[in-house]
Amino acid sequence: MNLMNPEKHVCQTFQKFGPRQGRRRQSKIVFFLPILLIMVVFSQPAFAGNRITVTDALGRQVQVGLPVRTVGAMNSDALEILRALDAGDMVSCVFAEIVRERAFWGKLADRPKLGSWREADFEAIAKIKPDLVIAYERNPGPELEKRLNPLGIQVIRLNFYKIKTLNREIRDLGRILGREKQAAELCGWYDRQLGRVAGRLKTAKHRPSVYIESYSDYHSTGPSSGADEMCALAGGRNLAGNFSIPYPEVSPEWVVSQNPRIIVKAASWANGYEKSGADHLGRVRDKIMARPAFPGIAAVKSGRVMVMDSSVWTGPRAVVGILYLARLFHPDLFGDIDPEKVHRDYIELFQKVPYGGVFAVEGVKR
Amino acid sequence: MKTPEFHINTNGHGAAFAEYRHLVRKKWLAMAGIIAVFAAAAIGSLASGASGVGLADLIPAILNPGHPAHGIVVSLRLPRVAMAVLTGSGLAFSGVVFQAILRNPLASPYTLGMGSAAGFGAVLPIIFLPAAFARDLWIAGGAFAFTMISAVVILAVTRLKNAGSETMILCGIALMFLFSSLTSFFQYMGAMEQVSEIVFWFFGSLSKAGWNEIALAAVMVLGPFPLILRLAPDFNLILTGDDAAKGLGVNVPRLRMEAVILASLATAGSICFTGVIGFVGLVAPHIARMLLGADHRFLLPASALCGAALVLIADTLGRTVWAPQVIPLGIVTAFTGVPFFFYLLMRRKEMM
Repeated sequence: MNLMNPEKHVCQTFQKFGPRQGRRRQSKIVFFLPILLIMVVFSQPAFAGNRITVTDALGRQVQVGLPVRTVGAMNSDALEILRALDAGDMVSCVFAEIVRERAFWGKLADRPKLGSWREADFEAIAKIKPDLVIAYERNPGPELEKRLNPLGIQVIRLNFYKIKTLNREIRDLGRILGREKQAAELCGWYDRQLGRVAGRLKTAKHRPSVYIESYSDYHSTGPSSGADEMCALAGGRNLAGNFSIPYPEVSPEWVVSQNPRIIVKAASWANGYEKSGADHLGRVRDKIMARPAFPGIAAVKSGRVMVMDSSVWTGPRAVVGILYLARLFHPDLFGDIDPEKVHRDYIELFQKVPYGGVFAVEGVKR
Repeated sequence: MKTPEFHINTNGHGAAFAEYRHLVRKKWLAMAGIIAVFAAAAIGSLASGASGVGLADLIPAILNPGHPAHGIVVSLRLPRVAMAVLTGSGLAFSGVVFQAILRNPLASPYTLGMGSAAGFGAVLPIIFLPAAFARDLWIAGGAFAFTMISAVVILAVTRLKNAGSETMILCGIALMFLFSSLTSFFQYMGAMEQVSEIVFWFFGSLSKAGWNEIALAAVMVLGPFPLILRLAPDFNLILTGDDAAKGLGVNVPRLRMEAVILASLATAGSICFTGVIGFVGLVAPHIARMLLGADHRFLLPASALCGAALVLIADTLGRTVWAPQVIPLGIVTAFTGVPFFFYLLMRRKEMM
């Protein structure tokens, strides 16, 4: 049977029997034709109907063959979205670093490992053979597709850490996994939170100057970094926002001479979900405020210095970080907003694990 | 102990003595030039920065605590300059010591694996300690501890095998590979933010050092310096070969042992608070050597000044040419030093 072209096969059948062959044969054909077509449809994965095209994080149009039943998550951002889309059961292999956050990931941490977020273990992936592997736009490198595609394992690069593209990526993943409804719910939730912030900011009279410090001391975040995007959405003016590079080093003197109204610092690997108190973030905050010449800065004088856990600092939960920032930047507009409650809703509704932990510390008493 | 110059002195000829005096005068002149460049670099560094406080405000700002720029100059610029001087001079005179005892112009403080060891010592707390712990202190402590560990391993091998410079270099290269692969391993284990922290640490920075760190670094860098200077005549002799030095009364194994301990301490002090700053320890000794010769009595202080000036100039350029972005120190040192180094290289033939 010509599986590549079922129509041709049916035509050939008609020609072979012709009009003189009698009604019995025709009725047989009429009976077998639908079965034949169904067989053709299901025996052909390359059939145009079960491939969908999505735009990946590099802006490429990528075709994904369906159905996708098992997925490999190369990083925590992808895994978090997978779990939020109720697709945790489809995850057949996970990134190696997951064991550090066992409390948050639960049984997912015990799934087979496919390498680290930036270096795939091809043999492990080949053995597990997930239908699809999700990775960041640049990590691991292009060898990921080169090695896995010949093995019949598809790769899609989705970041899930840029707010601008987050919803599009979630919807695309929802389409790929048949989780459109869950994707719509999650995107709707994000939109409501961001809409609430944007709505209130319309009446903001000023955008306070903010010195954002990344994980390393005196390394700020410039244009096209996640933190710059968060700062802008929360109604702040990032002092390094007009720099030339995304993660510039700055001098202490520059920070002091800019006299920021607010200082925000990311704490690396603070593992906030497992913490019961804020001491760990408080110590980081105390150290910033005691840096040479920092006590003269407006932010330090007024105590508006915030240290934030990396799990709400960019990534799928950046919206929670934005709420923390918005309240710090504009206490008059966001005084009634409780980022912790929003975070709890997200964790319980979408991640379906109990809420816990401490994710930000600031000087302002509430 | 007598140095080659004193041999010239003993021949009794007036012309030779005059030539010797001329040579010494030239050395002092070169030294004065180096001191002038160093002083200019230090003042230039003190007078430039993002806040725009310039040369005119410098003295009033330092002397008058009520001056608006007092905080900027005293709390931010002075410690920066102090740390640059310590780091640059420590790396440079350690470089001289390693080049002498290993009799190798390619030697630097990192030849015996100390740079990689320090890097590994810094990476451990970056990976395993959460930000809240006194992490900076652990990073500095780790870098210091592993620098000294690599020195101890080198010394143990040297002592057990009664080894010469070749074995020491081979041993150092082995340690270098060991520690860099360990660093890569932990880097591989790390999350995105930790990897970037490691990369930034290796770039080097003078921003993190406050007066407490400077005091500690000063003990480690300036402490060994007079002791090393005392060994200068022996370094002159060891350059003629182990056997010749022995014949002239130098206890070569002991000299190597003392030199490695002192120079490692100075190296550890130079880099544990700033990150592995390359190039200075290799090139500052050569710059000084090309300017005033290989007599270690002059070479050691001259390279210390050259190293300090190099780091000061590199840091000032790094802070100003692309302001307000800072170009990390470890990157600029090479940018700054290489052109000058090439210029000197084209003029001279001999490296040691």
